Amino acid sequence: MTALDTAVPGSTRTVTRAEVEDFLFAEADLLDRQRYDEWLALFVEGGRFEIPTTDAGNTPASQGGYFVCDDWDLLRARVKRLRSRKAHAENPASLTHRMITNVRLTERDGDELTVAANFLVHRARDGHVNSFPGRYAHRLLVTEDGLRFRLRRAVLALERLEAGARLSFIL
Amino acid sequence: MTSPSPHPDSDAAAAPLVVQDWERLAFRVHRRAYRDEALFAAERARIWERTWLYLGHETELAPNDFKVRTLGGRPLIFTRDSTGELHAFLNSCPHRGTVLCRETQGSSKHFNCFYHAWAFHNTGEVAAIPDPSAYADEEYKASMRLREVAKLEVFEGFVFVSFTDDVPPLVDHLGPAADYMRMISEQHVAGMEVLPGTQLYGVRGNWKLAVENAMDGYHFSPTHNTFVGYLRESGFAVDDDDQYAYNLGNGHSLLILTGHGGRISMLWEPRFGEEERVRTAEHRREMELRLGSERAHLVADESHILFVFPNLLLFDLEGLSIRQLEPVAPGHTDVRAWQLAPRGEDPAVRDLRMRTMVSFVGPGGLATPDDIEAYEAVQRGIEATAGDGRAELDYSDMSRGMADDGTGRRGRSTDEGAMRGFWRHWVSAVGGGGPVDVGTPPPAQPEPTPLPSKRPHGLDEILAGLETGDEVAAR
Repeated sequence: MTALDTAVPGSTRTVTRAEVEDFLFAEADLLDRQRYDEWLALFVEGGRFEIPTTDAGNTPASQGGYFVCDDWDLLRARVKRLRSRKAHAENPASLTHRMITNVRLTERDGDELTVAANFLVHRARDGHVNSFPGRYAHRLLVTEDGLRFRLRRAVLALERLEAGARLSFIL
Repeated sequence: MTSPSPHPDSDAAAAPLVVQDWERLAFRVHRRAYRDEALFAAERARIWERTWLYLGHETELAPNDFKVRTLGGRPLIFTRDSTGELHAFLNSCPHRGTVLCRETQGSSKHFNCFYHAWAFHNTGEVAAIPDPSAYADEEYKASMRLREVAKLEVFEGFVFVSFTDDVPPLVDHLGPAADYMRMISEQHVAGMEVLPGTQLYGVRGNWKLAVENAMDGYHFSPTHNTFVGYLRESGFAVDDDDQYAYNLGNGHSLLILTGHGGRISMLWEPRFGEEERVRTAEHRREMELRLGSERAHLVADESHILFVFPNLLLFDLEGLSIRQLEPVAPGHTDVRAWQLAPRGEDPAVRDLRMRTMVSFVGPGGLATPDDIEAYEAVQRGIEATAGDGRAELDYSDMSRGMADDGTGRRGRSTDEGAMRGFWRHWVSAVGGGGPVDVGTPPPAQPEPTPLPSKRPHGLDEILAGLETGDEVAAR
């Protein structure tokens, strides 16, 4: 992954919580408006996207069942799919509404920043509304002109996915 | 959860549930089968209470581990006791019925009821009842042991239970499905284990829609258009030739697939990467020695989707996913899915396996959400004809390839023969008396025995293909 990161050089500059919040809020806005190409541009090349199962605890993505464990190829395939009219589960697209709070900068190691945040995503489709509470545990690359996802990890605070709550959209 | 159907089906009760018209070669299923509360209750009583049900896999439990599951609406504790024996206890205190174990999983030698502090060993015996002197005698106290399911049997690690003693031995119930389960165990010399991380999700659709979908090769290209595009771009030539569907008896069915994807460590394709190509050749040599050429071919070169009536689906594809169906209401099904992987697998292969399987199956994958969309869209759509005065409209059509039925010819995976076999079994099991025939059924022939695919299967051919990539190009 580090070899690919050379496309965007890292930086050791100081990052504030406000900058991370702005990054996450702007990301949420892109997703709520289904601007998937712009969303993908928030990742470094080689970035990953993970959603563990609700009982997975800290099982690494390579060792257990996950809802989503996208490497860079799969992440791009997911975005391409979502832009297609043939992604039936998202045509018409879910109406999503995201709230992000409790943002914390949890660790800094060189050009990498680990952040935690709480999310609550409401998703409406087919006459039903599902709520998806959880927390983000992201690893971000700090660059001179902004932040990029190395790992975008969404951990659900649910015991299970309720009926109709399939993760066909980006959580 | 699910609101009752706005159109009561009482008027429709006289219409036959399953009609097979041998003159027009038409097979139709009445749509109340997906939405009627009375039929749902009949399924619980006549299928879920009377048939072997898949509970879990023995590798999920070390001694003293437990998992809480619901089968046929009954809360159960699936545990391995301190002596190593498997149990399926009713998750209900024998005293007053309280749910005993309120965690979803864990490890404990005892189950304790918080209500009156009764305690039980994980063998089921009473460990302690506070102030026992108020009961008649020791024998009465001992009679309060945990209630277990009527039967529990294990086949190749797959644990099944029954709520009645009146079932045949498990292996008889499985019939020809058993060998396809055994093939899974034979994939790797060290055997297979269930990995942590259960995909637990609900769908707003009848459980039988999930069965149909799994046995339906016809939907693959249109429904999974975006996933097929992804496979094609990665260099895999997706096709439906040489793919067949079989009825295995007792409601079980099988798709044998060769054109939808490779198989990790057994049948290489470009998206698995170059390192995996080398590992695959090594593993195929080992399989050839261990299993012999013909068996290794059967185990390695075909993907299987196996349905074991009524609640188990095994997706033996790029990797292996176990899916369990739990009907909650006519229009609501809970699904549990686990990944089954070789014990002691190389971490690089394990990583590839997890990415590859999760990318396809599961409610966050690139394919399964479209299947769920299909079940849910059917469940909503069939309200359109409920209670319509034109009674013939309230049927779903499953006639594709019916000319093959009863002839002993095998049906294509893109036809609907496996679904018809399922529905014929279901309508008898649920008390519908069997399908209603129009015209004369063909003289009964035995169901065709599954045949191996036409893939090259000499080890030399496979290894040569692996080196040149010809095998992939040939598909």
